[in-house]
Amino acid sequence: MQVGLNISVSEFLRRDVISARDFKRDHFEYILRAVEDLEKSPGSLDGALRGKLAALLFFEPSTRTYSSFQIAAERLGMKVTGFAGPTGSSITKGETLHDTVKMFEGYGADVFVIRHNRMGAASFAAEISDTPVISAGDGSREHPTQAMVDLYAIKRAFGRIDGLKVGMLGDLRYGRTSSSLAYALSNYDVEITFIAPEALQMRPEVIHFLTRRGVTPKKESALKDVARALDVLYVTRIQKERIPDPTEFEKVKGMYEVNLEALREAKPSLKVLHPLPRVDELSAELDGTSYAHYFTQAAGGLPLRMVLLNLILGGGR
Amino acid sequence: MAEKGKDHLLVNKIGEGTVIDHIPDWKAETVVQVLRLDKLARMQADASVATLQNVTSGKLGRKDIVKVDGWHVDEKDADILSLVFPSITVNYIEEGQVSKYQPKVPDTIEGRIRCPELGCISNAEREPVVSRFATLKHERLLQCRYCDTLISFDSVPDHVRT
Repeated sequence: MQVGLNISVSEFLRRDVISARDFKRDHFEYILRAVEDLEKSPGSLDGALRGKLAALLFFEPSTRTYSSFQIAAERLGMKVTGFAGPTGSSITKGETLHDTVKMFEGYGADVFVIRHNRMGAASFAAEISDTPVISAGDGSREHPTQAMVDLYAIKRAFGRIDGLKVGMLGDLRYGRTSSSLAYALSNYDVEITFIAPEALQMRPEVIHFLTRRGVTPKKESALKDVARALDVLYVTRIQKERIPDPTEFEKVKGMYEVNLEALREAKPSLKVLHPLPRVDELSAELDGTSYAHYFTQAAGGLPLRMVLLNLILGGGR
Repeated sequence: MAEKGKDHLLVNKIGEGTVIDHIPDWKAETVVQVLRLDKLARMQADASVATLQNVTSGKLGRKDIVKVDGWHVDEKDADILSLVFPSITVNYIEEGQVSKYQPKVPDTIEGRIRCPELGCISNAEREPVVSRFATLKHERLLQCRYCDTLISFDSVPDHVRT
């Protein structure tokens, strides 16, 4: 048990990671502290899961999430199997998620890391398998490990999460990282503002959950109205691949871009986060400024996923 | 059940079957839809359905009644119907004896409602997933177990699997 936290490490053992809603504040704090410890002693978890097998089943293409899980598993000493996208796998032949999970279960996978274009795919996989399932993104629904990476980035920048004003900007409707981050932040004393045109505003079920938790997010349509008040600006790209109607995409594309002009009235201490990849919504002119925190944020993905795999599979240390 | 008399239609007493009573007036068609009574035709069941609309009621002022002769409506279907019309009462008739069933709001509904979110895994072709909704009783909402989509009790007829 970590000092001041009311949970034990056994709560992570063989646990599914499907939704950020399934974790309490102390769970997040436990993970963040463990990541901090790992960053202080970078080799401390190397080889901790030797002999275990991670099946990375990415039904949607991925670069950074796949790579970070792959490298994390390998650093822990695990063997890695699976696929990084549908191309070249049996998915193109029409194999179902169900059959794929059952097959890799038979091959002795100790953990599944699943990305899928369908909302709820990870929940379904967890239902049909006793092997722990980590969601690496399911459609527009959630990306819980990204939310942990995001929390870590915020904590690293400010030394705390409580008391901050967090703005989430962009495609909140079809983006899965912002819903997971909103769920995770609802464990903290933060002020959340969703900044998006109406067509891309946060989904009703997310607002519903937050409201039931006693969190009342603000809604704004333009960054300029709130930029000066924010401590954290979380920017997301428009999820072109998830917007069902191409004409809807044409209407919203290019509607926002975060650049120096847009941040003219922002606090000097503002940190801009982005789950990456970026397209047009985040100008490269921010890269060299004190606002840019997104590359530091991305770097946290590897140690965080190492810690998570280690906690779930009971590697100790 | 229904016979053509000389100049009028007769609705006889049911010997075996189900009577759905206290339906809000002019809503009998929705009841037929939610209870999937059209499946009786597909199954070529020896059953007949009579809908009585806008009849006087002490309790509701006006009401509809649906009588299903020769068929016992599934209790789970009646429970789903009660989400839309909480006032309904269900009477099962067996060998002329009437037993009342008071529909209740279920905690979960499996397989009977299609998720309106097309991107939900429960709508994936060939995946062996059964749709599952949790009921949020106080808010009169259903929530998809897979994609979290919310639908109101009142919109259930739009999403019932037929």
